[in-house]
Amino acid sequence: MLSRHYGWHGCLLHVDLNRQSIRTCAIEPQLLHSYLGGRGLGVRLLRDAHHREPCSADMPLIFAVGPLGGTAAPTSARMSVVSRSPLTGTVFDSSCGGSFAWHLKAAGFDALLVTGCSPQPVLLDIKEGTASLVPASRLWGQTVSVTHQALAGAGSCAAIGPAGERQVRYANIITSEGNAAGRGGLGAVMGAKGLKAIRVDGRRQTRVAQQSRLAQGVRDVMRLLKASPFVFGDLGISRFGTPALVDVLAQRRLLPAENFRKTLSAPAIRINAAALHQRYQPHKRGCHGCPVACKQFTEAGDKLPEFGSLGHFAALGDNPDLDGIVAAARRCNDLGLDTQSAAASLACWSEIKGDFPRVEQLPELLEMIAYRRGVGELLAQGAQRLADELHQPQAAMTVKGLELPPLDPRGGCGLALSYVTSNRGACHLRAFALSHEVLRKPVATDPLTFAGKARINTGAENTCAAVDSLVACRFALVAAGLEEYAALLTAVTGLDYTAGDLQAIGERIFLTERFYNQNNGFDHRDDVLPPRFFTSGMAAAEGADMAPVDGEAFADELRRYYRFRGLDEQGRLPATYLDGQP
Amino acid sequence: MIRQVRSCRDKLHAAGMVRPERLAILVEDDQLLQEGAEDLLALGRDVFAGTGAMAMMIAEPDVPLQTLIPMSIAADVHSLTPLDTETRTFLHDIPVIRRHRGPLPHREIIAALRRRKGVLVEDVGLIAVGQMTVEQTYVNLSSLYHALFVSCLLRLVRSGRFLGAAEKDLLRPLVRSLSVDIPPAFADMPSDFPDNCSAVRHAMAQAGRRTVELKLVDSFFGNVSCRSDQGVLISQTGASLDHLDECIDLVPDDNSSTAGITASSELVAHRAIYRQTKARVILHGHPKFSVIASLNCAETDCPVSDCWRECTRPRSIGPVPIVAGEIGAGGIAETLPAAMAGGIAIVYGHGVFACGQQGFRDPLQAMIALENRCRREYLNRLISIQGAF
Repeated sequence: MLSRHYGWHGCLLHVDLNRQSIRTCAIEPQLLHSYLGGRGLGVRLLRDAHHREPCSADMPLIFAVGPLGGTAAPTSARMSVVSRSPLTGTVFDSSCGGSFAWHLKAAGFDALLVTGCSPQPVLLDIKEGTASLVPASRLWGQTVSVTHQALAGAGSCAAIGPAGERQVRYANIITSEGNAAGRGGLGAVMGAKGLKAIRVDGRRQTRVAQQSRLAQGVRDVMRLLKASPFVFGDLGISRFGTPALVDVLAQRRLLPAENFRKTLSAPAIRINAAALHQRYQPHKRGCHGCPVACKQFTEAGDKLPEFGSLGHFAALGDNPDLDGIVAAARRCNDLGLDTQSAAASLACWSEIKGDFPRVEQLPELLEMIAYRRGVGELLAQGAQRLADELHQPQAAMTVKGLELPPLDPRGGCGLALSYVTSNRGACHLRAFALSHEVLRKPVATDPLTFAGKARINTGAENTCAAVDSLVACRFALVAAGLEEYAALLTAVTGLDYTAGDLQAIGERIFLTERFYNQNNGFDHRDDVLPPRFFTSGMAAAEGADMAPVDGEAFADELRRYYRFRGLDEQGRLPATYLDGQP
Repeated sequence: MIRQVRSCRDKLHAAGMVRPERLAILVEDDQLLQEGAEDLLALGRDVFAGTGAMAMMIAEPDVPLQTLIPMSIAADVHSLTPLDTETRTFLHDIPVIRRHRGPLPHREIIAALRRRKGVLVEDVGLIAVGQMTVEQTYVNLSSLYHALFVSCLLRLVRSGRFLGAAEKDLLRPLVRSLSVDIPPAFADMPSDFPDNCSAVRHAMAQAGRRTVELKLVDSFFGNVSCRSDQGVLISQTGASLDHLDECIDLVPDDNSSTAGITASSELVAHRAIYRQTKARVILHGHPKFSVIASLNCAETDCPVSDCWRECTRPRSIGPVPIVAGEIGAGGIAETLPAAMAGGIAIVYGHGVFACGQQGFRDPLQAMIALENRCRREYLNRLISIQGAF
């Protein structure tokens, strides 16, 4: 729309499902320059609606791409899906790869904003510069794979499954390449709108201001990716996918079992990358144009699980069956369920009833959740609500209602702190403490001390918010940094950005999210870990137990974090925080 | 935090890369910690907050690069793109803040440090910042120093520019130091292959420590490995080579565990060498004059533009071959193993790999001998071009 723009189109597609109307509108350049795209732009567009109920008609569901999308910038074919989570009640964004984001950008849009609720199920069909709503009653009730098959053709598709239709609080949106916008239940938000799927096909090129500088920037990032053991190393994710993390996390005693009451036992660690390779001889694929290609698929084209899914499903039993875990993860994706929240909710429920499910019981349990049948109605609420309902709140391994990933906070102080300060609930990717506490990048830190972690996490949260807004892949951050991505952004947009500028933008985005949550009633009482982590060590099969988190040191570091963030002792920002923000 | 600051200060002093009395360290945690020369701290206080960094180091290097480099480049040059692999990979280019005999341009320094990890400030020294830890700032300062040292000394023998008396005065201590060899400090190292896992780890730690002590590598660079029945034992990425005790990964040959995802980025090269040679130990350092010698190519009218990756022309320092190939998956594993037949090779612009079939004594001895040869040859060339100092 704004032809003078490089990097951005300056154009938003607004679909109002109440009126069944579609219109394009300009996005103010200042907003693009100040919030970039992806998570940042989505959060900014949510400003006037952040207090609305997550599954209400007037709550926007936003798909936002970034200024680097559609260019040669490595790992940039991503988007953020942004709304308010029905699981956590917080503002929520999910970074998602595949090729949907690339096509949305190539269709000429920086963001798609959906409001309203369609009286009949619909499909949104987007082509370059235009869009239309198509009745989708015949698809309603279908699984994700059937929906994708029905809509197969040029471009990409993002769809919900039965879980999203029934508003399971952790329903995902899944692209036709198998990538999920996961964790917070944004599939339920989509389902509440009666929007079964979005198909998009674009061909438009992103305009680049300085091609030669972009080429130089790409070379610089590629050199770093190739120098990174985590990315292109012999044991890295380019070869083994994210399951490459299983062994090192097990070695550091970070993988939990039985709802974080134990460390994953040695037999359970047989779900590692080597086992997957031996069993499935996977083929690798990547998001559009990504040189890393960390996704693993079977010869039949089925996506193999990421480490989070492997870890959580393995944690349900002492001697897990790899085929069973792979089948469970695949079933989750087909039903449109978040694998991690589903497995963690099952773990919570299992602890309360004193019996963990066998792997062969998982498919039926997952169907019950997705279709909200029997106990599935309870499990569909997520771990926190089900534990409250069963009067065992201490069994919920959640922060702000989001189930922890399979990474035990007793094994990493920075990780522990990041779980509680994350604006979307327990998430290891908000400050990505694994990068320095485990992977030693950009520099190794001692995982068993809180010293300096408040300061490190503050900067890392800002960095991650900026990267989520460009939008680039978090895994690239283990190799490259804002210095390199600022150079790419400058080359693409022709505007002068430094690493320091991106840090400042990341801070603005992070604090805006915190402010929205504050307006919705969140404060320091929500910045807490489950009590188990402060009172119990983690029993290991090998004998050496992991100590509980030091509560006093944790509280001290959290207070320091509040000071770095400019928050008061209740963890609150000034009521006027947004007044000075663009 | 104070412990971290002092540890880095002591490492800098031990490495001899900065003048001990001309170092300032500032760290922002709950409060601003400061240590070092008062005038440098004053500069730090003026610019630190504007950079948004967690820590800053300001230092005058042992060789006065802050004066020599601005004297050797045009007045309108405001950044350097040195040739060594460290810079190409991790720093990209280095801003040079010119003073032109004027006051210190604080805003320009801040702007440069918001863009890059470190800068050279004319007549002041090196400034490096880190976003996370003091050690990260040390690593950045060390990289900056290495890049500028190599760049400056290479320029002295390649630019064709004759030095003035003032520059010769500044360089005289370095020139004198080059006439003294690195000592053969390996007699106490076992010459046999260590016979158990504990002995292997001890030998690796000793080899790493000695390589740093002899200034054949800066603390956080280089790597060391040993072949064992179970796979390859190798130092971890980002490990301090002089403190390896708990920073060694075992990587099984069949990749039955990927716990070694934290291993050195050069794992792929080490594995390739073990596969294709009889080596049982490998030592990798960045001895400066060997790196300079590898970059000092006499070819003219050469069609290759990316020498780091594409040069296939046979070159050597005496019997030691020089090969192309970038770090990690950048090609080094394809070029290096064939060049290791003599037990030692230089990777263009990067550093030296030396291997042995017993303990680390032989590769360390070979690396010392190569670096001493390169130091002597550099000195002779410098004097032949610039005359006596």
